[in-house]
Amino acid sequence: MPGLRIQYFRGPVWGKTNEQIRKMIVEGNNPITGRPVVQELVEKLTKPLTAEEKKTGELKPPMGPATYTGTPDELQKLFLDNRYTDFMPVILPTEEKVAEMLKGTSHKPEEPLGKMNPQSEAGETWSYTVKTAAINAVMAGAKPEYLPVILAIGASGQEGISVSDNGFMSGAVINGPIRDEIKLAYEIGAVGPFAQANTTIGRAWNLLSINGANCGKIGTTYMGTVGNPMNAINIIIAENERDSPFKPLSVRRGYKEGENVITLFRGWGILSAANWKADAWRNDMNYAQIIKDICDQQGSMHGCIAVLSPPIANFVKEAGYDTAEKFTEFVRQPVSVPTTDALNRIYQIAGDVVRPQGTGLAAAPAGPAAGAGRGAAPAGPATGAAPAGAPPAGARAGGPAGGGRGGAGGGRGGFGGGGINFSVVVTGASNNNYWMMGGMAPGAAIQIDKWR
Amino acid sequence: MKLRVAVIAILCIGLFCSFQYLSDQGYAQGKKAAPAGKAVAMPKITVLNPMGTPPPIQVKAMAERPATLDGKTLYFVNTGYIGTDRLMAEMMDWFKKNYPKTNLVLRSGSMSSITPALQAEIGEKADAAIVGLGH
Repeated sequence: MPGLRIQYFRGPVWGKTNEQIRKMIVEGNNPITGRPVVQELVEKLTKPLTAEEKKTGELKPPMGPATYTGTPDELQKLFLDNRYTDFMPVILPTEEKVAEMLKGTSHKPEEPLGKMNPQSEAGETWSYTVKTAAINAVMAGAKPEYLPVILAIGASGQEGISVSDNGFMSGAVINGPIRDEIKLAYEIGAVGPFAQANTTIGRAWNLLSINGANCGKIGTTYMGTVGNPMNAINIIIAENERDSPFKPLSVRRGYKEGENVITLFRGWGILSAANWKADAWRNDMNYAQIIKDICDQQGSMHGCIAVLSPPIANFVKEAGYDTAEKFTEFVRQPVSVPTTDALNRIYQIAGDVVRPQGTGLAAAPAGPAAGAGRGAAPAGPATGAAPAGAPPAGARAGGPAGGGRGGAGGGRGGFGGGGINFSVVVTGASNNNYWMMGGMAPGAAIQIDKWR
Repeated sequence: MKLRVAVIAILCIGLFCSFQYLSDQGYAQGKKAAPAGKAVAMPKITVLNPMGTPPPIQVKAMAERPATLDGKTLYFVNTGYIGTDRLMAEMMDWFKKNYPKTNLVLRSGSMSSITPALQAEIGEKADAAIVGLGH
């Protein structure tokens, strides 16, 4: 909103004592102007409006011409300068290449495809067409046969690059025969950039977000404190349905076996799980318990995902969890976790809705009283560590893996919320016992074939 | 002997082809200057603008400001982000000390929006408002 008087101060607020907040922020200086914060605040509250601030009407941001003409080098530079790219060279989207890309769908080029914003209700929500998605798919280096997947993503409205200072990345799990049809990798290197389909679909998602919805602009629509390398091409995971002991994720979410479905995720990303716990390299690995321990330790605010290679998934199965639902129930079983001020403050953000039961964490204090915000830490009863090796009775019901369509929890796209928001996905090869874990929550699942 | 000659000939042809291939690649990537009479012109092409469509922005006039805070009601709205409660408390302490004639009111909003009811209350009762976003 033009003219809105905004007062900047040196953040962040959380993690500071009251005295630090007073001295560093309230009595400190605006880091941009260098002037005292409170002095500027009073001025903003009392200074008469300028003529500019009194203006009303409609603003239409300049969007540039419909086409650009130049040599390839000139156009690459123009696209870079206009921030149409992800800072890597793109395939220049000529009318011919875009027409070729559009052969990948029966939908009309000018058909509205979706609306998207950078995950901020305060931000603007842009709209885009099938052709916009096709243009960005060309730029990403995608093939026409990938377009239905890219359109399904675009139709969801889920941004590839979130504004959040968390530095979120996006991911997607693809199920169904389309995985083989378009040669998505789901064996060696499955979650990395080792196949054109995985790589360019993830890149097209980001380019559509950047150009179709103004995402990823530092200082306005991107605020990731340290960023996220997975923002480059996101993580496009094709499940290894052939070698997985579990039903495909899409089937667990209510779709038919054999349906081509993409399930979107958002979160911090995934890391190799082998080194998450010291001295975990043993002969007698209890993978199920290790996965649960990691989930319990990292909390559930933005979901917990296990990306298992087939050998690890089969170890889990042999430990008694022959379905993903049983394994999910085990992982979601409450355990005692260390009670800390930090955890209490984190749960205070979202309220009790995401507070794991039985953790001993105090309820967030009601009201915004000064000095509050840190719940007392009563010694809550530890509610039973899960027995290793067998599905426990009385585990919490529900969970994303057992849920229906539409994702777990609340919020736009269904992200977040709902206790330990655990997902398990099987992909990769069987050449060794590796797997990955991360903080990602599932959102919308979309049928791909309707975008053919 | 014939076989040896044939192998050498094939190797030479392969070498020549490789040099030619590398040479062409060099021109294409702009690393080499094209020899006289073999200028490689970069043709102009036309490409499509990849952008979507932003919504039109309805610009609202800002609220008139009071000339002074003395005798006025100043609302503080805690948007619920982590630490905002303590930030607002410290700010209110500062205003209490420095603007003792100002009536300070604290309310809670949410991270994503301020309810219509609270907006109406601010419009009706506040002379000015600080909507706080800590984090």
